[in-house]
Amino acid sequence: MATTASITLASDIMPNFGGYTKKMTLTEAGTLTDIKETTGYARRQLSAASKVDLVTMANLMVGEDTANLSHKIFIKNIGYRDKSDKTTGVKVYINSVEIGVLYGDDWMLCPIVASDGEDIEVEPLTDDTVVLEWVMFYEG
Amino acid sequence: MATTAAMTLNSDLMTGVLSANASTTMMKAGTSADGLDQMKMGYNKIPTGTSFDLLDATAAGIDKATKVYLCNESTDETYYVTIVIDAKTIGRLYGGDWMFIPWNQDDATHDLEITATGGTNNVTWICFHEGETLGTQAD
Repeated sequence: MATTASITLASDIMPNFGGYTKKMTLTEAGTLTDIKETTGYARRQLSAASKVDLVTMANLMVGEDTANLSHKIFIKNIGYRDKSDKTTGVKVYINSVEIGVLYGDDWMLCPIVASDGEDIEVEPLTDDTVVLEWVMFYEG
Repeated sequence: MATTAAMTLNSDLMTGVLSANASTTMMKAGTSADGLDQMKMGYNKIPTGTSFDLLDATAAGIDKATKVYLCNESTDETYYVTIVIDAKTIGRLYGGDWMFIPWNQDDATHDLEITATGGTNNVTWICFHEGETLGTQAD
């Protein structure tokens, strides 16, 4: 089965936009070999508007890899106590750059580098409690 | 119908089940009442060697809830595009890979840039956003 991710986009913004679906298999860089390493599925509860490490690259088997391989991370803002809130957002940083904000129920799947000690960081917009679920796939 | 993005992830890497589902309705920043109401999309052939602005950051996009989908449609698995935001490398999309991210156009330097390696890479992109106005005709 390997590791696969499928996305379906639907929208009524643009008349006649028929939607979009795509499936990918996560592989090692530049090959058709299935990716073999994962952090496993994890969750992190945050209750303060301060920046913290979600993934510390040096803790992975790959360590601080400078080759920019085919790592991918999935992060989802699941809210708190089964209640997601579109007004409670969490900023996500990769390689020290703010990518964007995940509001309640928002998710992202993104390729990432694992270099130069640049961890994946998150920072809630407020002190409201929010929970993130995440999983990373990487090339060890 | 609104604008939605759903994802299913399945993996047999672990002996137990590793799967995830996610679905979000794309709303304007910080609200559950108003959905994103603008979008643009494209398909580009990216020649090797040069870094291109795929999406230009604008002041109208600062602290908004923009979402970007990008797929490397190349059929050669050795081809890849490097994704750069604010002059920092985010990651690589190899042939067949896609990504879906929130994109805060933090400032005018927060362009989403792309560089192809291996050969001409073909990419599909869709940007869901709000707040953009057309520039006045200049000439």
